[in-house]
Amino acid sequence: MTTPAEALPTQEMLINMGPQHPSTHGVLRVLLRTDGEVVVNAKPDVGYLHRALEKIGERVTYAQFMPFTDRLDYLASMNCNCAWAWAVEKLAGIEVPERAEYIRVIVAELNRISSHLIAFGSFTADMGAFTPFLYSIRERERVNDLFEEICGNRLTYNFARIGGVSADLPQGFLEKTKEFLDYFEPKIPEYNNLISYNKIFLHRLANVAVVTAEEAVAYGLTGPNLRGSGVAFDLRRDEPYSVYPKLEFNVCVGTGERGQVGDCFDRYMVRINEMRESVKILRQAIAQIPEGPVLAKVPRLFKPPAGEVYFRSECPRGETGFYVISDGTVNPYRLKIRTGSFVTMNVFEKVTKGLMIADIVAVIGSFDIILPEIDR
Amino acid sequence: MGLKQYIADIVEAVVTTAKGMRITARYGVDAKEEITQQYPEVRREPSERFRGFLHNDIARCTSCTMCVKVCPVDCISLEAVRGADKKMVLASYDINIGRCMYCGLCVEACPTKCLTHTSGYEKASVDRGELILHFVHEDPAEIKARVAKQVAEAAAKAAEAAKAAEAAKAAESPKMTESLRPGKAEGSIVPAAPAFAAAVGNPGGGNPGGPKAPDAAKEEWEKKG
Amino acid sequence: MEALARSLVSAVPAIAGVPLWTVTLLMMVLSAAVLLAFALTFGGLGSYVLRKVAGDIQVRIGPNRVGPYGLLQFLADGAKLLLKEDIIPAKADRFLFILAPYLVFVGSFAAFVVLPFGVGLTASDLNIGVYYVMAVTSLVVVGILMAGWASNNKWALLGGMRAAAQIVSYEIPVGMAIMPAVLIAGSLSLQDIVRSQGGLLGIFGWNLFHNPFTFFSFFLYFTAAQAETNQTPFDIPEAESELVSGYNVEYSGIRYAFFFLAEFGDMFVVAALATACFLGGWHVPFFRAEALPALWGNLLSLAVFLIKAFALVLVMMWVRWTLPRLRVDQLMRMSWKYLVPLTFVNLLGVSLWLLIFKGKGIPALIASLIG
Repeated sequence: MTTPAEALPTQEMLINMGPQHPSTHGVLRVLLRTDGEVVVNAKPDVGYLHRALEKIGERVTYAQFMPFTDRLDYLASMNCNCAWAWAVEKLAGIEVPERAEYIRVIVAELNRISSHLIAFGSFTADMGAFTPFLYSIRERERVNDLFEEICGNRLTYNFARIGGVSADLPQGFLEKTKEFLDYFEPKIPEYNNLISYNKIFLHRLANVAVVTAEEAVAYGLTGPNLRGSGVAFDLRRDEPYSVYPKLEFNVCVGTGERGQVGDCFDRYMVRINEMRESVKILRQAIAQIPEGPVLAKVPRLFKPPAGEVYFRSECPRGETGFYVISDGTVNPYRLKIRTGSFVTMNVFEKVTKGLMIADIVAVIGSFDIILPEIDR
Repeated sequence: MGLKQYIADIVEAVVTTAKGMRITARYGVDAKEEITQQYPEVRREPSERFRGFLHNDIARCTSCTMCVKVCPVDCISLEAVRGADKKMVLASYDINIGRCMYCGLCVEACPTKCLTHTSGYEKASVDRGELILHFVHEDPAEIKARVAKQVAEAAAKAAEAAKAAEAAKAAESPKMTESLRPGKAEGSIVPAAPAFAAAVGNPGGGNPGGPKAPDAAKEEWEKKG
Repeated sequence: MEALARSLVSAVPAIAGVPLWTVTLLMMVLSAAVLLAFALTFGGLGSYVLRKVAGDIQVRIGPNRVGPYGLLQFLADGAKLLLKEDIIPAKADRFLFILAPYLVFVGSFAAFVVLPFGVGLTASDLNIGVYYVMAVTSLVVVGILMAGWASNNKWALLGGMRAAAQIVSYEIPVGMAIMPAVLIAGSLSLQDIVRSQGGLLGIFGWNLFHNPFTFFSFFLYFTAAQAETNQTPFDIPEAESELVSGYNVEYSGIRYAFFFLAEFGDMFVVAALATACFLGGWHVPFFRAEALPALWGNLLSLAVFLIKAFALVLVMMWVRWTLPRLRVDQLMRMSWKYLVPLTFVNLLGVSLWLLIFKGKGIPALIASLIG
């Protein structure tokens, strides 16, 4: 006797999701093999945004590469700027003035907030609720206003310099930042009421695409995606750099609040909670920031000693690491960039098996990938 | 799934939806929450450090090429020739703002601070060529030819002066020659020098002096305004 | 319609010689034209209001450039859609592709015929009005499935399939949720249902306050009907962020506009049906519109009906801009596990209530208690 499924053979459908698709967060192409609505296999195809940033890095000087790090993760340019500066300073052994370090931490945390805001907003937009996206953009505009004051640009900041930052904080900047924090902090519970704990939203995310702690470590996930799986690992705390040891903050991890540990909702909540922690860090940094110079003396024709260095820092989308080999000339001999989003794509195919098409969107959003980071 | 859970689910769905709708309703009703600025009519003031289009005040530019060297995307092109007084004369200074990524490295590198960011950010164009900003409005070939002529003239003058000096040296006693030399040398350079002074002093066009007489050239610049 | 034509013929001596069927036909065409004009205007203005509401909620302004307050935006949009190139994909099934939008539009527009706009304002007071609306709005699903299939696009096909599954499953809770009103009125005619909610009890004559079960019925109906019209928490057939645009992804120009108008038409039908069945229809609170002269009574009741319906449309928009979207399996679960059982329980409850209290609602009971 044949079952109905055998009597009516069905075909798998091959769907091209992307490179042009509203919710792949850029030019990501996902090859979906689906059985009706159920995804049999989802294979990400990356590389549509490859700009050979690593090769460019080998052709320009250390200082000239700074604006290119803006394009590494355009939603968190400050973090990438600072990561590059820290990497080169580690390579050359440059002592950075303390005020500069504080400024870097302040801008990096502000940018973490704005980046997580976009992650939150675009994720909810992917889930079909468009309004929270606009609210998150509204808050992000304020951060952009602050950044415009400090460096003159609103998206690609190019603010850090090797040996410090390009300019001291403008008059009244810290007060304005405090104002923003006071304004922003009550917004987080509002987001939670508006969408995070909405029943539909919860149902869409809980128990979807679970990445266990072992898997997360094995696949090399970093940042909020790793912490969402319940692994409390934060480079700011576990491999401290800059002035982070002087600042107190919690490492947010996924708790399996509404489902299994490591599902989409956990990853989402880690980001929401990290915004709170960033606010905390910012308040401390603003209180502690010392006076002083903001740029160390670095020769104009900067030639670091021959050698190699790997420096990683905690960016909003995971660990951004720069592996630089210097041969003592003005250009790096070899530059390798390790980014959180690229590594995250490895686990994509594994966790999306057996989900539905709508979940693919949720997974992409919860991993908070950004394409320039994937393709570099 | 027990009945209790079933009802709890329904209640949670209703309550969370109501919570969300209360928030959206508050924003919907409260007109003060509107944050849109109607752009072409209302413009927000860019900050002091705003990185808009680049502008080069070429009267102060020394053609040191620092900006060209530091630019990561090679959007600045500069041509300069050495003038009669050993200073560089700009033949052309173009910035391709279609290529520029507004990183500001050139502005930081500029030693005379003549290269600055303006607050301009509106330049839509259907022609890519329009995105290249020219700061020297004269034909580079003309400038080059003119400067070359000046250099040649100056060289000729210098040679003449040298000849004259030699002749004087030959005519007069060695002692006298030494005392006269400075004055004579100064005199010999006079024709070339004003032209240059005028060129450097001119704020607008920034044309280094023409092959014509200095006064005529000055009039021409004033016309250009 | 024929009765109306007969009365018109007898009232106006000038047309006494005209055969009755001509007058009837003319009347039919006229009322259809009026309804069409109304549907199109509502589609246009509805899109404007939708965007304006979205703007308000999302701390933006919304359309404000064309005409005063951007009111003429929909005309500009309409002109744009009319002038756009009409693209039919090379591998599409041309006939079905062209037919689909009209089917969808007809499905939503035909429901306007029985809507009770006022005391005497209804194009045709069918004695199976509610049933007719349910049947005709189901026609939409044929059009959507056709559009999805004919587009020869996998996203469109998925959207069409989703729409079919969704609309078919939500027909049941929608029907079940309306049944209480039918039970109370004892008729399927929408005019009868509205009339049954009259009386000088003001808003307490409404079915909404008839008994606790009808109260829940209203919300169940509203929820299910939103799903039937593909409004946001349930807009999975056109889920922009998943299926790009679902079944209408390959449509452009005026064909797209038809889908668009059908969507707004559906929105109004749902709101109007909810008004008629639960919110007292054209009944003016604390006032008898029927007692007025025909013209004024009709105008007043029309205004009241439209106000109620538009208020419901606004609520639908408000929900639309608040909630995220369900997944397709959750949508099915919501229909079969929550809405269908609940509406059944409600129906049972209303039936029992009517049996026990002899058809009287709570307000009527209280009134009889007081004396």
